[in-house]
Amino acid sequence: MSERVSFHDEIRNNKLKSLALASIMILILVGLGYVISQFYEPSLFFTFMIFAIIISIGYTLISYYNADKIALASVKASLASSTQHRQLISSVENMALASGLPIPKIYVMPSSQINAFASGRDPKHAVICVTEGTLAKLNKQELEGVIAHEMSHIANYDIRFMTFTAVVIGMISIASELFLRSLWFSSNDRDKKGNGIFMLIGIVLAILAPLLATLVSFAISRKREFAADASGAKFTRHPAGLASALKKIKHEHPSLNDKHNFPKAVAPLFISDPFKKKFTNLFSTHPNIDDRISKLERM
Amino acid sequence: MFGIILGAVLAFIVIMFIYYYNRLVTLSNEIDNSLSQIDVQLKKRADLVPNLLASVKGYMTHEKGVITEVTNARKALLGAKTIESKVKAGNELGNALKSIFALSENYPDLKANTNFLHLQQELSAIEDKVAYSRQFYNDSTLSYNNACTTFPGTLFASLYNRHQKEFLKIAPAERNVPKVSF
Repeated sequence: MSERVSFHDEIRNNKLKSLALASIMILILVGLGYVISQFYEPSLFFTFMIFAIIISIGYTLISYYNADKIALASVKASLASSTQHRQLISSVENMALASGLPIPKIYVMPSSQINAFASGRDPKHAVICVTEGTLAKLNKQELEGVIAHEMSHIANYDIRFMTFTAVVIGMISIASELFLRSLWFSSNDRDKKGNGIFMLIGIVLAILAPLLATLVSFAISRKREFAADASGAKFTRHPAGLASALKKIKHEHPSLNDKHNFPKAVAPLFISDPFKKKFTNLFSTHPNIDDRISKLERM
Repeated sequence: MFGIILGAVLAFIVIMFIYYYNRLVTLSNEIDNSLSQIDVQLKKRADLVPNLLASVKGYMTHEKGVITEVTNARKALLGAKTIESKVKAGNELGNALKSIFALSENYPDLKANTNFLHLQQELSAIEDKVAYSRQFYNDSTLSYNNACTTFPGTLFASLYNRHQKEFLKIAPAERNVPKVSF
């Protein structure tokens, strides 16, 4: 075990890193727009950007206001009952008190694996959803740790942040797509600019940018998971609870059947990757579970 | 050119004044809000006590001392005006209740009473909520105090006449598990 990690520092570090990553994404977008507009018509830069922004914001606003409903419906969650899920409701109430947030709506979804997610655009519209397996397999401290992690996503506005990331990725993809398609049609009258270098850079960027942006968004997602672990520990004052829950998750082997309960699109929302990929890499939405456990144990 | 720079600097200063005023007020309101949360939980606990005593009375005939202790602590809690005295009375009530639950182990009939068990669960759940709301009070006090004492917040704090606030302390005696004599 190396030196103790203060959860306050940990939260601040993670926020800074997320901010840096988000800035990189914006830079990618602006850079891409710049190169494309240089290729066509430099004065079109702003028009071009505005166009990409409007389309992708419109698209995302719809999902933003319905994110919670879509997610809940896609995992077939139902509202927790005050008689059947006393322990769960009490844990959520406790964490709401500890975090100073309003009590979110509480849902339970059918699945035997231990998992949970939070959604909703701000703390007033937040929902927390846990699997039946979570309720059956975790004790009170572990459950509270998991709920605290989800409350931190709500408190840190992670859902809003991830939506923002989705908007930017959307804009980048649309800009790239428009550019690549237009090349197809305009290849005949190539005499207008003849800016070969910009065209080459443009093509490379247009192909790479969406991929790059997606990778950055996964990196942000991993940072936000660490941040939620840290502020979750602040709420329970008991990092060992979440650490022990994560250990239980680690030793679970999800049945093939169970994976059907988790649509791919909602996977990044969950406390741990429902598909349990073996290795953490650039394409992982969640950090390595062992890293998370060891960080929690050092707090 | 000079005018633009001067204007920008002035605007920046005005924004700083507004920002720090709002920040200090918001953080201070959060503390008040967390106080009322503690209050709510303490009140809930006090409201459950008469039911608990009613269900216990028939069984614990030899434990007059503890029962009076609970009754008195509840009265003290309901009569308390300041938050310090409320929290103090709340702690006393909590300890007296713990004694009752410890003593209830000696009464198998009582342990089998569903009403009693239900109240016991309810009260221990409230116990957690009291602890968490106190923790949030201290967390919000910490954020407020940090804002008041770090630079440049400290300049504005003294300007707006805002001072650091006290944490809710747990007295050394209360940290111990209450002693129960048989």
